[in-house]
Amino acid sequence: MEYSNLRRQIVFMKKNLFDQGYLDEQFNQLEDLEDESSPNFLEEVVALFFKDSSRLLTNIEQATDKYPQDFYKLDSLVQQLKGSGSSIGALRMKNECSVFKANCNDRNLEGCRRSLQKIKREHATLKQKLESYFQLLRQVGPRDYAVSSRK
Amino acid sequence: MRPEERKGVVERRRDQFPVGMRVLAVDDDPVCLKVLETLLRRCQYHVTTTNQAAIALKMLRENRDMFDLVISDVHMPDMDGFKLLELVGLEMDLPVIMLSVNGETKTVLKGITHGACDYLLKPVRIEELRNIWQHVVRRKFSTRDRANLDMYEECNKPPNADPDQVHVHVTCGSDQSGRPSKKRKEYCSDEEDEGEVNTQETDDPSAPKKPRVVWSVELHRKFVAAVNQLGIDKAVPKRILELMNVDKLTRENKYRLYLKRLSAVASQQVSIVAALGGRDPFLHMGAFEGLQGYQAFTSSTALSSFTPHGLLNSPRNNSAALGTQGVPASKSIQTMSGSHTLSHSISDAKKYHLSVPGNQQGNLGQGLASLGQTQMQQKWIHEETDDLSTILSGNGLANGMSGTLQSVTSSPLPPQELVECTQAKIGSQPSIQTSSVSSEHLEGAIGVSSSLLDSRVSQLSAIPLSGFSSNGLLIHGSFNNNCTTKLGGTSSACTPVRSSNDLMVARDTKAGASAFGGAMLLPPDTEQKYLNFGGGNSLKQKFDQRTANSLFDPKLVWNTVPSSQLATNVGAHHSPSQRWNNSNSNSTNIGARMIGQTTSSASTVIPQMKTDFLISGDMLMPKNSSDLSIPKLQSELSSSSCSFDGLLNSIVKVEKDDVTFSDDLGCVDFYSLGACI
Repeated sequence: MEYSNLRRQIVFMKKNLFDQGYLDEQFNQLEDLEDESSPNFLEEVVALFFKDSSRLLTNIEQATDKYPQDFYKLDSLVQQLKGSGSSIGALRMKNECSVFKANCNDRNLEGCRRSLQKIKREHATLKQKLESYFQLLRQVGPRDYAVSSRK
Repeated sequence: MRPEERKGVVERRRDQFPVGMRVLAVDDDPVCLKVLETLLRRCQYHVTTTNQAAIALKMLRENRDMFDLVISDVHMPDMDGFKLLELVGLEMDLPVIMLSVNGETKTVLKGITHGACDYLLKPVRIEELRNIWQHVVRRKFSTRDRANLDMYEECNKPPNADPDQVHVHVTCGSDQSGRPSKKRKEYCSDEEDEGEVNTQETDDPSAPKKPRVVWSVELHRKFVAAVNQLGIDKAVPKRILELMNVDKLTRENKYRLYLKRLSAVASQQVSIVAALGGRDPFLHMGAFEGLQGYQAFTSSTALSSFTPHGLLNSPRNNSAALGTQGVPASKSIQTMSGSHTLSHSISDAKKYHLSVPGNQQGNLGQGLASLGQTQMQQKWIHEETDDLSTILSGNGLANGMSGTLQSVTSSPLPPQELVECTQAKIGSQPSIQTSSVSSEHLEGAIGVSSSLLDSRVSQLSAIPLSGFSSNGLLIHGSFNNNCTTKLGGTSSACTPVRSSNDLMVARDTKAGASAFGGAMLLPPDTEQKYLNFGGGNSLKQKFDQRTANSLFDPKLVWNTVPSSQLATNVGAHHSPSQRWNNSNSNSTNIGARMIGQTTSSASTVIPQMKTDFLISGDMLMPKNSSDLSIPKLQSELSSSSCSFDGLLNSIVKVEKDDVTFSDDLGCVDFYSLGACI
């Protein structure tokens, strides 16, 4: 029962994340990739993402401070971030990155800075939410298939 | 799993293609890379990943058979994805799929023009990855098909073979499949898809290995066209690539191929020119074909219906051949030149006419033609714009050089020499890269042209056209031989034409090839050498011839080199032509040799040459008698034909005494070409 409660919570949380636009279909695809050989694939990828994106964000911030006029560089940095974000299904982050890129195109430094702040916020929020999500998942244990086989 | 076991597993799985297909994934983003790797594994592919393009290249270079497919991100810090794409396509001829979060049309287009066989957007879905194996298969089919097609066409193309056929064949292979083998030339019709040269090449008996990228005639043509469009100065690979808009065609491919082709084309052109000069385009084609190998010849015979495409077609064959071996090279050259020549030839042809008249030296013309072709090719490649003129001029000079031809022919003179030679003579040799041709030795020039081509090629680092270079040179050389005076005359004739411009023009017009033919009018004196030139160039020539033929007709004023010259030339051709057929593949390489030989043979043969000339028709036919040295010349010619085209044209004119010449020209062209070579 505890288990099923947890399960329900997980489902609910996930649904929220999707409804609020934090995640998109890609996230599900990644989840589907999990199998016996890579049971924690999703969590690993997400962890990797947050590690890498933190580094990227720092770079972007530094770039906007040091080379505010180098929009090309800013654009390519954010492009990387956008690529990773889309790979795990981080929808909001991805969208915010697009806004940033548009600002770069317009050579709008202020716009870029604002976008950057938003990206950082989205990043932090998503990180927090996903951490909770995975915590719940860990409590539940391996995925259903494994559980069912045990039963 | 231990390495051996793993390898065993991999091997076993590969048998169940697409299961076990070996993919190399390159992406600097660790998240994307991990996701991609997992997705690919889920598709049951065997995946290797790296986050650095440099490492990927290293792995690929170490053993290109290690992978079936490469997937690469576009934006990477250490190397631009497009650059990697080009390199892989060029060096290893593997299908490459681009990945990016950026799906803008212009970026996707860029990927395509750089040769990507597909462009996926991130995040990549597994469904998309499940189908990527098709690119591997398509490429294989393409190559195989092209080769077959080319071969088929070459062999079976009736004299009036319809160039379109070639296209048809080629098209099926080409397209997305990317490069069948080295250079895939997509035959696609319009501009240019150069048919898979590979197919041709692979089938070519002399082609020992399957070329990686098939520089199809069409590609060549496209290349030429693009080059022409861009102008020599601006004809940077990138732009050319974009202009050509050929899938998977990387710059490198193009350049190399182009160079090769040029030489081939040059030779071909020469022959064609010769052929054209005299008579109907048909002859030219024949001439070219002869150069290329008789097979090509037949296609060239179709010259009459010769259309740029036609030329292209032959080039295609040539191109394909090019890939395989020397011979193919000439073909490609031809094709290339054909294509180029087509464009140019037409214009050049006209020009050549001008020049040619002066030169009666049919041989020269031929030689020139072939040289021109080769040169033309080279020129085109490099210079697109005024290459022709220069080539022509170079060729012209080459002819003038006389005497030197022999020398030239014998040894692939460094293009520079030729160029110089020719230039000297021609004076204006514009861009002819090989412009050295202008230097006194037409021979040198011819050879130079070919060498120039080579050099050009080498520049591109694409195909070691050395064979071609010689061809190019040969042409020049041959011209000189007989014509020393003649050549000079022709070359001068040619050169005055506009030296280079004409040739170049031809390029644009695609008739270039024909132009060469005209140019090649190498004085019959150039005799055999030149003839061989044609032979050698036959590869190219074929292509060129086609173009040349087309060109010539209108212009070739060649006047047919004095029949006597012709005779010799013809004789030369004959053998070469014959040889050509026999040795299509060799032709390109032989070009150099041929020239030397052709000259000798040419001279000997001359008296009967007239009839031989017709080689264009006959020559192509594997006459086995070909073992003549001429064949060698032919091959040489072919190479030189590139530049010779113009020469050839001139020669053709010269040689033909007008009557016989046209017919003979075809043959003569070869010879002259051969001689030149």
